[in-house]
Amino acid sequence: MSNEQQYTFSKEELAEIEKIKAKYPDKKPPVMPVLWMAQEKFGHVEPEVQRLVAETLDLPEAHVYGVATFYTQYYKEKMGKYVLDVCTCLSCQICGGYDILHYLEEKLGIKAGETTEDGKFSIQSVECLGACGYAPMMQITNDVYCNHLTKEKVDTILDDLKKDKLPEFEQIPFPQHQNESSKS
Amino acid sequence: MPEIFIDDKRYEFEGSPVLLQFLLDVGLDHPFFCYHPSLSIPANCRQCYVEVGTPVPNRETGDYELDENGERVIRFFPKLMPACKMEASDGMVVKTHRSSELVKRGHKDVLEFILMNHPLDCPICDQAGECPLQIQTYKYGPEGSRFEHKKVHKPKRIKLGPRVILDAERCINCTRCVRFTEEISQTHQLAIISRGDKNYPATAPGREFDDPYSLNTVDICPVGALTSSDFRFKARVWEMNQTPSIDVTNGKGANIDIWTRDNLVMRITPRFNPNVNDYWMPDFGRDDYRRMNENRISRPEVKVDDTRIKSSWHNAVLTFNEYLSGVNNKEILGIGSAFSSVEDNYALNKLLNRIGVSELVFTPNIEEGSGDGFLISDDKYPNTNGCRLLGLKEMNPAGLNKAISAASVKVVVMMEDDLVGRSVVTAEDLKDKKVIYFGSNNNETSKLADLVVPITCSAEHTASYVNVDGRIQRTIPAKETLYTNRKLNLEMSVGRLDRYATKYDNWSSDDNRIDCVPAWEFIENAAEQSGQPFNFADARDVFEDLSKSIDAFSGITYERMDDELGVVIAGSEKQKVTSA
Repeated sequence: MSNEQQYTFSKEELAEIEKIKAKYPDKKPPVMPVLWMAQEKFGHVEPEVQRLVAETLDLPEAHVYGVATFYTQYYKEKMGKYVLDVCTCLSCQICGGYDILHYLEEKLGIKAGETTEDGKFSIQSVECLGACGYAPMMQITNDVYCNHLTKEKVDTILDDLKKDKLPEFEQIPFPQHQNESSKS
Repeated sequence: MPEIFIDDKRYEFEGSPVLLQFLLDVGLDHPFFCYHPSLSIPANCRQCYVEVGTPVPNRETGDYELDENGERVIRFFPKLMPACKMEASDGMVVKTHRSSELVKRGHKDVLEFILMNHPLDCPICDQAGECPLQIQTYKYGPEGSRFEHKKVHKPKRIKLGPRVILDAERCINCTRCVRFTEEISQTHQLAIISRGDKNYPATAPGREFDDPYSLNTVDICPVGALTSSDFRFKARVWEMNQTPSIDVTNGKGANIDIWTRDNLVMRITPRFNPNVNDYWMPDFGRDDYRRMNENRISRPEVKVDDTRIKSSWHNAVLTFNEYLSGVNNKEILGIGSAFSSVEDNYALNKLLNRIGVSELVFTPNIEEGSGDGFLISDDKYPNTNGCRLLGLKEMNPAGLNKAISAASVKVVVMMEDDLVGRSVVTAEDLKDKKVIYFGSNNNETSKLADLVVPITCSAEHTASYVNVDGRIQRTIPAKETLYTNRKLNLEMSVGRLDRYATKYDNWSSDDNRIDCVPAWEFIENAAEQSGQPFNFADARDVFEDLSKSIDAFSGITYERMDDELGVVIAGSEKQKVTSA
């Protein structure tokens, strides 16, 4: 039980949750934003955190669990500092998503779904992140997208991340807009 | 009356029935998995596809538009529609697989899709034989699978809770179990997790599926994904007999089916009765099969010089009459039982009344606050209201204890009720008294009795019970005793193994037949031995006799109980209040 009490929301956070709840007519919709809040605070949504969310929102635990397990973006266990979500869905797969994934696995010495011993990196193989135009791609800790990946690019990203330097946000215009952006 | 045309045949309907339910109600077989009449309708299995169209009303005239042949113009939905999500409407035209190749193809393709990752383990699956997926694949499915890749693997043999085991690979994610915990038992313990190709129902991590109604999910699971940890691998469905009966573990009297094989009760499942239990029953009621099989009293027992010996029925009858005639009738105390049937209590009461003993006394077994207002009642015995309606004298445990331990009482005749086990009386209270005990199972009370008359349990006799709501319902024998024969008693069901078994077959034996008779039959024998028979030949006679002599039961017959799914006894509303 002491483990469960480890996780609580502060008064301010509870007030924030009330605001979220007020936005929706039903009890269920706030699950996602509140899980998100919890993940930002605790770094993961382990079962105890899911339980906290369920209790806070007065929802069945099983329901919160069901929602959390759908999204790879919610970390159901403690993850490394940088979570490398490598897309292996159709477009990326065709453009070599698995090559990137396996290259990363080899380089870090872990399999998808695992975390390095130093707690720095986790790798996940995830479904489509909506960046099919820039395949193959990966996302780092639910944040920046790394597009058009090559092995060399992966090397650079990993080296930077080891120095705690996140890659820059890349703006890639759609082909039909490419002329416009070059004009402007 | 509104009309609907199904496969070019006209039907009339009332209200706005769900199309799928209407198809089933008019006797048209239709495949489906996720639909259940008592649950919400998610339409997620997509198996019940039909083609549906409605006539086109002319907005100006209000009539239906007609084509050049004078036929109604029917505007069909552009795609196949799930019948479970359609409400029947006036003039609706429905094409099922009987008249539409498209629907036929739809059923086949959905099944092929559902079966894509379904393991082909029917030979070792408990659901085989009563599996909607198996049956419907046989009727509507494709002949083979075009899916020649590795199937998706999911966890197997997950203990969801103390009584339910999940095989996630077999699950087709119809969500019936999830909806059951949300809508019926309202414990919300299950949810579909990992939605996607690896989805299956589960409890929250670290939580058990310990819902008191959890085994109902096993019943409604349309595949072998959820199985009962108690029943699994015990018997094949086609080896068993199914006999309708009443649950006696509880005052609610849920309607049940008793499944037997070689006269052993293998499992108990709920039977639909919209007025009592719908499709459900509590888990503990299913455990009652143990009481029916185990620890039974077989053959009468008498105490001779402090030693218990088995005795003959003849000797038991003689001993019974000797005990009763050996003392003054004021020294006899008859104790009825809310656990026993109306017939048994009535017969004992009638016999004792005739020799001048006053009405039977009884004490209900009510645990205040143990009920849940659904199918678990505070009353732990099935026939408390029956005893009240029979006019037995109701006492609280202390009162009954006083009545029994009174020095003036020499002989105590008890109908099956473990009064010692329930701590109503102690062994000390019964000392120096002759105790006659009618019982089906050995217990603390039977151990102390001087004469034990083995009687049939609820799975072996025809008898009626009045539940907490005043509804009288009856059982049908499911299990043979040494003196009954399912081939001769036309009320009993005869399964395949029973029908073809000879005593040289290894699946059939007499080992599980108990040497016992219904209590009223023993009482009849005793009355006959004393020269004044009641002429009860079967339970029906007993019930006819009591319905003639007791107003509350007048006009009630076994036929009415069968036809009307139990009869509410007039005036029992008052009884309900006192029992609440």
